[in-house]
Amino acid sequence: MSDFRVMLASPNFNVSESFFPNINLQDGLNWAEEFIQNVVLPRLPEAVASHFPVELGTVLVMFGCAGIFVAVVPLLPLVLVLAERKVAARFQNRTGPMRVGPWGVLQTLADGVKLLFKEDYIPPQGDKFLFLLAPYVIFACSFAVFAAIPFGQNILVSDFNIGIFYIMAISSVIVMGVIMAGWSSNSKWSLLGSLRSAAQIVSYEIPLGLSILTVIMLVESLSMSEIVASQSNGVFSWLIFRTPFTFIAFFIFFISGIAEVNRTPFDLPEAESEIVAGFHTEYSGMRFALFFIAEYANMFAVSAIAVTLFLGGWEGALPGYDILGGLPGFVIKTSALVFLMMWLRWTLPRLRVDQLMNLCWKYFIPIAFFNILGTGIWGLIFPEDTLVSTGISCAIIYIGLITAYKIAGRTFAERPAPQPS
Amino acid sequence: MDKYIRNIYRGVYTVLVGMRLTIRQFFEPNVTHQYPYEHDYEKKRNVREIPKGYRGQLYNRIEDCIGCKKCEMICPVDCITITGTKLPKGEQLWDSMNIVHLKDGREVIGIIEGDDKKARSADSVTLTNITSRQGPQEVIDRLEPSGVESRTETFASDEISRVVTRNPVVFYLDQFDIDMSLCMYCGLCTEVCPTECLIMKDTLEGIEYSKFDRSDLIFKFDKQEMYKE
Repeated sequence: MSDFRVMLASPNFNVSESFFPNINLQDGLNWAEEFIQNVVLPRLPEAVASHFPVELGTVLVMFGCAGIFVAVVPLLPLVLVLAERKVAARFQNRTGPMRVGPWGVLQTLADGVKLLFKEDYIPPQGDKFLFLLAPYVIFACSFAVFAAIPFGQNILVSDFNIGIFYIMAISSVIVMGVIMAGWSSNSKWSLLGSLRSAAQIVSYEIPLGLSILTVIMLVESLSMSEIVASQSNGVFSWLIFRTPFTFIAFFIFFISGIAEVNRTPFDLPEAESEIVAGFHTEYSGMRFALFFIAEYANMFAVSAIAVTLFLGGWEGALPGYDILGGLPGFVIKTSALVFLMMWLRWTLPRLRVDQLMNLCWKYFIPIAFFNILGTGIWGLIFPEDTLVSTGISCAIIYIGLITAYKIAGRTFAERPAPQPS
Repeated sequence: MDKYIRNIYRGVYTVLVGMRLTIRQFFEPNVTHQYPYEHDYEKKRNVREIPKGYRGQLYNRIEDCIGCKKCEMICPVDCITITGTKLPKGEQLWDSMNIVHLKDGREVIGIIEGDDKKARSADSVTLTNITSRQGPQEVIDRLEPSGVESRTETFASDEISRVVTRNPVVFYLDQFDIDMSLCMYCGLCTEVCPTECLIMKDTLEGIEYSKFDRSDLIFKFDKQEMYKE
């Protein structure tokens, strides 16, 4: 990943500061201490309040908040699996799960309980240690990604100064887990699936990283919160509209992201009709559930990263107004992208392996390099993000889309249906 | 290079065409029937004509049933259970009586003065010996002679929706149960029925009557049913 090497070699990159990130602990403690002083203490009897251990209470409040975060994030896949089934059903004019709970809302919970009680089968000819380890590697890496995503102004686990780099690094480890799972299963389906997955993830990480690089070039920071902060002036300051090149980069990022999380039309690693279930063919019970949860957590994470990088993160659509802003705005924008993923899934058939590689190496990577070049030139012409530069960018995007629509309409006009002979 | 650009165009364009197609389906109404909870005939969809003489659910018009037990005897699977009570000679459940259904929903029980067959076409109907009890909840209580007032009332024909005559009863059925979980739909019972009161429904409701509990498939046509209108 050349882009990160460039960054590591740059004189501004401080290794000690980056790998032991300077988290502003004091801010967090102040917040928790204020909570203790203003909310908890006035409600206690005076005799207790005078002896109340404020420092211990502060730490406990912080642990509580961390606990809530840790509890909420694994709930996301529960919601997403149900949403996926419901959306899939709508696309096929069905209703989806309807029996467990009102409108089937507890279906995922029931499935989870079922998986919990299933037999935990370990293939006797496989590598037992790796087989047991693989789901945890994938699960842990999927959830470690959430540590750097800012869900709202103060809702983030840790504000790294290398947030996006950390996300890229930790999500690359997932492929290790996939290969471990495939190899240790001692099954041909699993091995084929995991090798396909490795090839796919390694290939698509390049356009993914290159599209992130265009954003980093404009913001001049790797910190997720600074990337969000640079998009605080309404919808046209969002990085997707900042230059015509980031507009293209967004789509490359999003499509590569779909390929990264192995979703249709890039679901070759777990292609049902070809290799049963790919790398998790041999898994059952709770270990299978971990793969499943990790898959949907990844899906949400990719959408959340796309929102943070290109669609303003938790910043609103209008400066000064809280439209599409804050945690609800972030969730709405992310859900929209998740819906787009599901929409694509039910629209497009699976690619062939050669088509997959063709798309990545012949189309995405050259266009991503072109984007970087273009963004660099744009940065030279407009060193500051002004109204003029944004206006020109939006005009170029608009004219480009209209021209493409006209040309496409002329070139691929619907042919008349063939007459029966 | 021209082919390269064309390929990108074609890729994006065809994906968008596909997405337009699928999102249209997203807003189409769904075709799923929540089967045991809702039936086709309730939703008035997918309703087909049922051929005459279709052997559906058994139904007994209990008011015509004479309790001859021929159906019970001929049933190959013993799905019909009948228990009847015959009153001793000289006793009867009630005297002959008339029920006048009024258009405002009330029903008045009494005895029509004069010929009750002519009363149906007459301009006005005069009821004597009207009981104070009214309404369909009092079905069983009609057996009791109590509550009789020697009251007389006259109703104009445009007030009345219909007039029903109840003949005195010397025989009634305590139990007429049909277990549809046993029935094999041979139709023998309907053929032997002398009053043709036992029929097999050829309506949609008679075809589709699935239940969650097997005991719900025992359909009871008994005394209580008999006095319902």
